[in-house]
Amino acid sequence: MNVRKIVTYVEEIRSEGGRPVSPPARVAVVAAIIENPWAGQGFVEDLNPGIDATASDVGALLAPEVLDALQGPAEAYGKAAIVGLDGEVEHGSALIHTLKFGDHFRKAANATTLLPAVEKRGPAGVVFDIPLKHITDATIRSHHQTIEVRIPDAPHPNEIVIALAAAAQGRPQQRLAPLSTEQ
Amino acid sequence: MQERIQDRLHPSDLSDQSRYSDSSALADEGIGLRKLVLHQEAVLTEAGQAPARPARRASVAAVIRNPWVGSGPGVDLAAEQLRIAPALAKLLTDRLVGALGGVDAVEAFGKAAVVGTAGEIEHAGALIHTPYFGNLVREYLEGKSIICFADTRAEAGETLVVPLWHKTHAATRSHYQTVGARVPDAPRADELVVIAAASTGPRPHPRIGDRLTDPVVTTKTLEVVPS
Repeated sequence: MNVRKIVTYVEEIRSEGGRPVSPPARVAVVAAIIENPWAGQGFVEDLNPGIDATASDVGALLAPEVLDALQGPAEAYGKAAIVGLDGEVEHGSALIHTLKFGDHFRKAANATTLLPAVEKRGPAGVVFDIPLKHITDATIRSHHQTIEVRIPDAPHPNEIVIALAAAAQGRPQQRLAPLSTEQ
Repeated sequence: MQERIQDRLHPSDLSDQSRYSDSSALADEGIGLRKLVLHQEAVLTEAGQAPARPARRASVAAVIRNPWVGSGPGVDLAAEQLRIAPALAKLLTDRLVGALGGVDAVEAFGKAAVVGTAGEIEHAGALIHTPYFGNLVREYLEGKSIICFADTRAEAGETLVVPLWHKTHAATRSHYQTVGARVPDAPRADELVVIAAASTGPRPHPRIGDRLTDPVVTTKTLEVVPS
């Protein structure tokens, strides 16, 4: 795995809707900009060798970093794969839609649910939103949220941005009735 | 497999950790603070090669209410500037130092501001171009240089490229670099985004010489160069 750069992005919300948020609401993203393992190879039918060579390593790199950046336990989480213009979205999906990638984060965060994800292809500087859901119960509505990310010079055409996101809480000022009240 | 990033402090090492759990402090710091955003980059390889001196670059942005929205160009900015700018200098440099692994690790610095569309660029200047911000940022980051800057008036989500240079020797060419700062939902029209930024080292592969190695270049010396 060739990593060019690690980018960390942390938001700390102190007020929302004109009211204080206390303690502040924190959401962190850590992204690794890596070389697309299939760059320059044309259409590769069997993605498994590339997945085996990369997915676990990038998951192991990002999971502790995003929890460090959050500086507290995660209650919601999500993931992203943003493929540079010369690659396939399937390449990004290959690296994040495998337990080899996600289990590092699940284990580190004591989480059990599937990680919600964004997969897209775009130029360097493309804006992407990472969806987050609760780490043990994806139906907990208070924790449905997204964080917006932009990395000015990534992904290059032969690169993939792989990111993990973690939130220490649900939405600031969350006040929607739980799903169970509608069932 | 890449190693973990080497110089990040473990959260338990941060002496000011309590600020994350101290709910008795004013959430808006008394300055209309809506949010803080940290952007940080560590370059592991550039042009296919690891830097001889890996550097981390970071910017910290504070989104605050513009205290001067609706006031005209005749209004004196001094009182609010004195109240707000020192608080921002402390808040932003604390976060920068925490992110970059201590004040000794900081080698280059810069500052910036984005004013929302209902404000004046002068409002941005009031918060970053006076001693109430600049002198304190320099002191907290233990620098000597004048601090380079960028400012603009923009809609929410504008990306600002924040220039940095060496904190004690501004002419050190290896440390001329930039870092991005962007808050997706700020500034609103009546807000300001104030940014402090720093780097722990030079560009990934600096090799454009320095003042000490430059030949004398004038229009006259260039005349002998065939064109």
